[in-house]
Amino acid sequence: MIEVENLTKIYVDTPVVDGLSFFVPEGQILGFLGPNGAGKTTAMRMITAFLPPTTGRIVVAGVDLDADSVGLRRNIGYMPENVPLYPELRVEEYLRFRADVEGVTRLDLPSRLEYVVERCMLSDVRRQVIGTLSKGYRQRVGLASALIHKPPVLILDEPTVGLDPNQIIKVRELITELGKDHTVVLSTHILPEVEQVCDRVFIIDQGRIVADGTPDALRTRLIGNPVVRVEIRGAGDDGPELFGRLPGVVAVERRSGGVFFVEHATESDPREAIFNLAVDHGWVLLGLTPEQATLEDVFVRLTTADDVESFTASTAQEA
Amino acid sequence: MKAFSAIVRRELIATFSSPLAYIVMAAFLLLQGALFALIVGYLSQPGQSSMSILQAFFGGTIFFWFFLVVAPLITMRLVAEERRSGTIEVLLTSPVTEAQVIVGKFVAVFIFYLALWAPTLVYVLIVKSQAAIDWGAVASSYLGVALFGALFVSLGLFASTLTRNQVIAAVISFTGLILLFGLPLTRGLLTSSSGFGAIIDHADLWQHMADYAKGIVDTRYVVYELSLTGLFLFLSTKSLELSKWR
Repeated sequence: MIEVENLTKIYVDTPVVDGLSFFVPEGQILGFLGPNGAGKTTAMRMITAFLPPTTGRIVVAGVDLDADSVGLRRNIGYMPENVPLYPELRVEEYLRFRADVEGVTRLDLPSRLEYVVERCMLSDVRRQVIGTLSKGYRQRVGLASALIHKPPVLILDEPTVGLDPNQIIKVRELITELGKDHTVVLSTHILPEVEQVCDRVFIIDQGRIVADGTPDALRTRLIGNPVVRVEIRGAGDDGPELFGRLPGVVAVERRSGGVFFVEHATESDPREAIFNLAVDHGWVLLGLTPEQATLEDVFVRLTTADDVESFTASTAQEA
Repeated sequence: MKAFSAIVRRELIATFSSPLAYIVMAAFLLLQGALFALIVGYLSQPGQSSMSILQAFFGGTIFFWFFLVVAPLITMRLVAEERRSGTIEVLLTSPVTEAQVIVGKFVAVFIFYLALWAPTLVYVLIVKSQAAIDWGAVASSYLGVALFGALFVSLGLFASTLTRNQVIAAVISFTGLILLFGLPLTRGLLTSSSGFGAIIDHADLWQHMADYAKGIVDTRYVVYELSLTGLFLFLSTKSLELSKWR
């Protein structure tokens, strides 16, 4: 659905986006994850034909940017960062404006309006002036207007920034829903967001994709084996050794008192064996929880690695 | 076409939902009304009948000050505000061309400009009730007003594409208008036979308007105003395209 080849944007001498190449199949929800200034917004602006790329090829739903920029824009529903809207228009006026500009026919207009108003839960504010809306409603108006022409591809730049927790949950649910009918690309620097919403994640740093995969795969590949946290009362000094003998267990670490971290191979689940072990030895099992390693760790590791290297290099030079 | 009319309509809604529109309209009518009253008073004195009221009203110096102030005020918002608020990003990622955006905005602001002038038609009726009126001259005077308006708002629109700050846009278009008006003043510095002198004579907007007010429609003048309007619209379109690169 989206093909990007060697996309680069250079400002003066600095590459902001540096040789991005990827393919997004139909129906996928792709997340761009990266620190501020990583080049997420610039990449999106190039894909939506707002910024001209320095080099590279972009094809969206079969339309090449170089051949037919206007045709490519027809295939995309874009919601820029901070959702710029015309404050003096009423919600419905704005949606009609966007529908006309995006080329929705007069025949389709009423049904499209009903659809986006219902989908984005805007029926309460249809007649309200946009300037008076709360941030959450503005976000939904932005989404509704991006959807109005039934685009095959939705591009959303930081769709949940500035919302309260309830609104964030609603917008995320909405995006997940929309992923069933549209190919979605969204950017964020909030990790749980990609874990909840996205089928696939790019971690972007300094204009390059430093990791690409499903949220699960990324976590496993980059963090290592899963870990079970076991809390037990009554375990003796031989506890770690006994855990280590269980099938699939790779390593055991004893923390304070009766808390153990049991690392195991991805395909095995040692929890049943741990329970039986506790029963056999007369231990009281207080807790048995899989440790959810977060993408946070992956993120920090990947996006600061270069800094660490250059930092050590520069200190070495000084010495 | 639908996209184009949507842009025009949105621009008109934006114009009329801002207090600036009403303040400009009120001030415009107040000053026009005062000028009209002064001219009528002056021409009513005995022995002052050599000049028609149209010539006094449209050909006079004060008339031009309306353009100098009004054109920057009503055009400064057009593109600058969209660039400041970021809505330009939404507009330019829609399937519309830069030319459609520019011409749409031009048409909208030109409609507003004509709406500013519309109430002055009442003055014509007032004069008609008291004296004979040359309808041809009235028509040519308003043609001049329309042509000048098109030129000046296109210049203001161009200035508005250059910046995201409305005040800077207004200053640029004000300066541009003064240069355009001030051109004939440099006539005295040139020797009468030089080619530049002829060009400046041709570009003398004061002379153009004085002729329109007399009922003379010189096609050279019409072509001059229309081609400059076209030039500024073209430059605005190019400037909007270039703004993506900045």
